[in-house]
Amino acid sequence: MIVCTIVAFAPILWMTVSAFKPEGEILSYPPQWVPLEPTWANFAYVLKNFNFLRWTFNSVVAAVVATIIVIFIDSMAAFAFAKMKFKGNAVLYAVVLSMLMVPIQVTIVPLYLMFSSVKLLNTIPALILPTAGNVTGVFILTSFFKSVPRDLMDAAIVDGAGSFRIWWSIMLPLARPSISAVAIITFMSNWTNFLWPLVSVSSDASRTLPVGVAQFFGGQSGVSGSAPQYGPAMAAALMATIPAIAIFLFLQRYFVKGIMMTGIKG
Amino acid sequence: MTQIIIHLKVGEVMNGKKQHYRIIPYIFLIPYFFAFITFRFGPSIAGFFVSLTRWNIVGQAKFVGFQNFIDLFEDPNFIKSLTNTLYFMLLTVPALVIGGLLIAMLVDQKLRGRYVTRTFVFMPYVIMSTVVGVIWMWIFDTHFGILNYYLGFFGIKPIAWLSSINWAMPAVAIATIWWTIGFNMILFLAGLQDIPNELKEAARIDGASSWQVFWNVTFPLLSPTTIVVVMLTLINTFQVFAQVYVMTGGGPAMATLTVVQYMYVQSFQYYRLGYGSAIAYIVFIFLVGLILVERSILKKSGDIN
Repeated sequence: MIVCTIVAFAPILWMTVSAFKPEGEILSYPPQWVPLEPTWANFAYVLKNFNFLRWTFNSVVAAVVATIIVIFIDSMAAFAFAKMKFKGNAVLYAVVLSMLMVPIQVTIVPLYLMFSSVKLLNTIPALILPTAGNVTGVFILTSFFKSVPRDLMDAAIVDGAGSFRIWWSIMLPLARPSISAVAIITFMSNWTNFLWPLVSVSSDASRTLPVGVAQFFGGQSGVSGSAPQYGPAMAAALMATIPAIAIFLFLQRYFVKGIMMTGIKG
Repeated sequence: MTQIIIHLKVGEVMNGKKQHYRIIPYIFLIPYFFAFITFRFGPSIAGFFVSLTRWNIVGQAKFVGFQNFIDLFEDPNFIKSLTNTLYFMLLTVPALVIGGLLIAMLVDQKLRGRYVTRTFVFMPYVIMSTVVGVIWMWIFDTHFGILNYYLGFFGIKPIAWLSSINWAMPAVAIATIWWTIGFNMILFLAGLQDIPNELKEAARIDGASSWQVFWNVTFPLLSPTTIVVVMLTLINTFQVFAQVYVMTGGGPAMATLTVVQYMYVQSFQYYRLGYGSAIAYIVFIFLVGLILVERSILKKSGDIN
């Protein structure tokens, strides 16, 4: 178990340590675990020469707004699917669920064409909207609402409550654990999304964090073809990771819950 | 008046009276469906039609039927990307599933420090794909990477991980395993904790060894979880893209070119939209095939049980 912990944590530790090493030291041999002359220079370099803060901002805004939108529209739709009788309930739900099997790659090209034709490429809405169509949230919430006993709803109806009232005051508060799971899943899914932001955003200032970080070594869009600068790269990696790890440590419970819900969906 | 208002407000009628004029349910559905059709369902269907064309964004789309698909199967690069991706899956899926299970079992036991281990093993999962790639590029660096340094203690010469045709894919696989094994661990943990202890106790009292307890009690009861884990792992590894893209860009000499990357390259660097969409659809078909195969294996083993 100790081995696992060490193996799991070592790369993260190494990244952290490397981020603080000055230029000369990082390429030293043999590699040191504790920097001899820790420095903030790498961080400064990253912040000065790259739109790092801008990328972070874009990622955060996109993920937060997407999550909020998803929570609202998914819970509304889930409520309808789970608790309301209407023509086409089963059919529509089946259509929605069928999309669970469809990988997002098939949507990328059409989405690109669509956003391009309304001139919304390279904008924040482009980073937010596709996530709104995600199916997982609807699935999880519908399953949850289905499990809520009818009596709660019937009691409210007898009291004269309208559907919106029921949804807002009863269903939503009840669904808090499921909603938080959906929130985490949606947030993470949008935050770490790579293919779509890569495709849809061309100007550097509108990039999201994952795409921006990818620049450090290129793949295809390299910044420097020559010897990569590991120090700044590790600094950027660290800066990109710390918020995620902090949030994870705080909200561990919800993460675990969210994953278990993903498991149920299978 | 009041009667009408109540019926319009309440989406559900007690006593089984059915009315088809209720619009409330549809009001609840519309926001989501708008997003769903516009950004998910619509594009998926459209993607199929694009795959039937030859189109390079500036010109007119030319309908070519299934020619793209035919071309793909004769395209050596595509075949290579397919075999690469399958190789990647071969390297990662067993490790991710079995490893996830083992670690979960480890953490499930009432040992001290299990929460620490659980947290740290899962932690990599919250790191972004490209950051994972960047970190491991540094670790795998041929001359200054820390991995080669420690391997040197065992007398192993420095391996040019990311620039050697033989080692690039394993390197990416290692990084991916480190990154996502925590996810499987959590799923297995949930499954393990659902197994009532009394069953295991009973088996032990009857004289079963640990292995027998596992094989005859734990594992069968875990099978729903195992199926989910295997399925999700297969689905996710097949779609691998970001970390490979960052670590190797598909090289060296296309040794790590994956299907999704090939789709990306064809669609957005060569602007062969029809071709790229065809690739995406093959990914879709592949995944559906995977799921169906797993379902049928499920049915068979379900019958045996």
